[in-house]
Amino acid sequence: MLQCEYQTGRLKALESYIKINELHFSRGHRAIFNGVNLTIPKGKVTAIMGPSGTGKTTLLRLIGGQIKPDRGEIILNGRDVTKFKRKELFDARKKMGMLFQSGALFSDLSVYENVAFPMRAHTKLPEDMIRDIVLMKLNAVGLRGARDLMPSELSGGMTRRVALARTIALDPELILYDEPFAGQDPIAMGVLVQLIRLLNDALGLTSVLVSHDIAESLSICDHAIILADGHVIGEGTPSELKKSDSPLVKQFLNGLPDGPVPFHFPALDYQTDLLG
Amino acid sequence: MIDLIIRLGRSGLSYSEAIGRSSIFLFYSFFGLGLSSKGMKLLVHQLYKVGVLSLVIIVVSGLFIGMVLALQGYSILVDYGSEQAVGQMVALTLVRELGPVVAALLFAGRAGSALTAEIGLMKATEQLSSMEMMGVDPLKRVIAPRLWAGLISMPLLAVIFSAVGIFGGLLVGVEWLGVYEGSFWANMQSSVEFKEDIVNGIIKSVVFGVVCSWIAVFQGYDSEPTSEGISIATTKTVVYSSLSVLGLDFLLTAVMFG
Repeated sequence: MLQCEYQTGRLKALESYIKINELHFSRGHRAIFNGVNLTIPKGKVTAIMGPSGTGKTTLLRLIGGQIKPDRGEIILNGRDVTKFKRKELFDARKKMGMLFQSGALFSDLSVYENVAFPMRAHTKLPEDMIRDIVLMKLNAVGLRGARDLMPSELSGGMTRRVALARTIALDPELILYDEPFAGQDPIAMGVLVQLIRLLNDALGLTSVLVSHDIAESLSICDHAIILADGHVIGEGTPSELKKSDSPLVKQFLNGLPDGPVPFHFPALDYQTDLLG
Repeated sequence: MIDLIIRLGRSGLSYSEAIGRSSIFLFYSFFGLGLSSKGMKLLVHQLYKVGVLSLVIIVVSGLFIGMVLALQGYSILVDYGSEQAVGQMVALTLVRELGPVVAALLFAGRAGSALTAEIGLMKATEQLSSMEMMGVDPLKRVIAPRLWAGLISMPLLAVIFSAVGIFGGLLVGVEWLGVYEGSFWANMQSSVEFKEDIVNGIIKSVVFGVVCSWIAVFQGYDSEPTSEGISIATTKTVVYSSLSVLGLDFLLTAVMFG
């Protein structure tokens, strides 16, 4: 099994790649994060899970510096992302990759050109070397034969795999996966699950995975964090979380509709709302 | 009353913020296009999309406007026995006013709206975000080539518009209505000044090119990443560009010829 278990004590001893301290972030009047503290260990797969609307994707965007928090620190490899200047931010992003939920392939470029894009943008590698690397990356995701297709000709699963090949084109230190399993058929999901784990171990990456798919995420992650209501409600190894007594964690992991996490978005009393 | 003041203040602040944001955006985009071969390749590709593909609408519109000008001008001038002046009338109207203004309006409708929709859709499908996350600045890679392509194309399109319009005037005035060809060209040559008319017309089209391209790329980049957001941004591009072109044309005409 791909799952790599380890003890909490070991996690604490591990070097952190990302450390988030007292993170506050709001959209309009709605607080998304209300003093979040978390640590993402170096070289491991960390799954961030939580109900819809808890800001999982927002957290990835905050880590990538695409949006600024209201308060708090996001320490990435020893430096605070929130204090980066524009150029520093773009330099830092050369060492990270993000797999978007939609794949976000450039629609006017072929599969080959999409994967070659980061190399053309950041390196002066000769064309034959770029070709070799592109084919290696596409081979890793099983799509070497699809190199000449356009993004519009790909299925959802293939799009995600091409996007993954593009994400690893420059061998980043950190990969952020935004809902990589959403809308995937069982075969594509199984392939993606394996790829994420294998790539992390083979390339020595740090992977952060945001997902709703509890079983898949827990099967490959070393460390899992559950977010709800603007806070971290549970954290630990998959086995620790499964044994957790916290009603919040239990409700989420077992998919129970009733519990501390409300199913309904805050609203007026139902009867009052209907009858006035 | 207080509510009205609050609303006014809020919309004033929002407009000021948008102007500030778009000015910073223009600054970064304007200086974002490097002189590297990569930058030039992107620019040439956009010049084709923004400029060359706008040629059909510019040439056809220029031809018909020149023909209409000659027809209308002739019917007025013939009453005074001055139909020989139809050439200078067509040329001055096109070079000073209609060339830059109509070409800019057509440019906003054809190329400006396409730029906004393209950039807006790239934003909605997270292509701009993914570019940012790859450490590639979309302002340099996506916006700058499009902005510069607009700046370079607009004056050239306006000049082509005027030239084709004069040809249309020739077709109607000389070939159809029988104005003497020698007078048509001679009157035009004697009355159209290079500095006063042609250069001022080109200056106008450069200004319109900056404004139309700026509005188009900013509206796309600043659009809400939804289908409705892109629709609103595209509409805003055409409306704001058209109004800006007409307003600026009055100001520039007052300064140049007033």
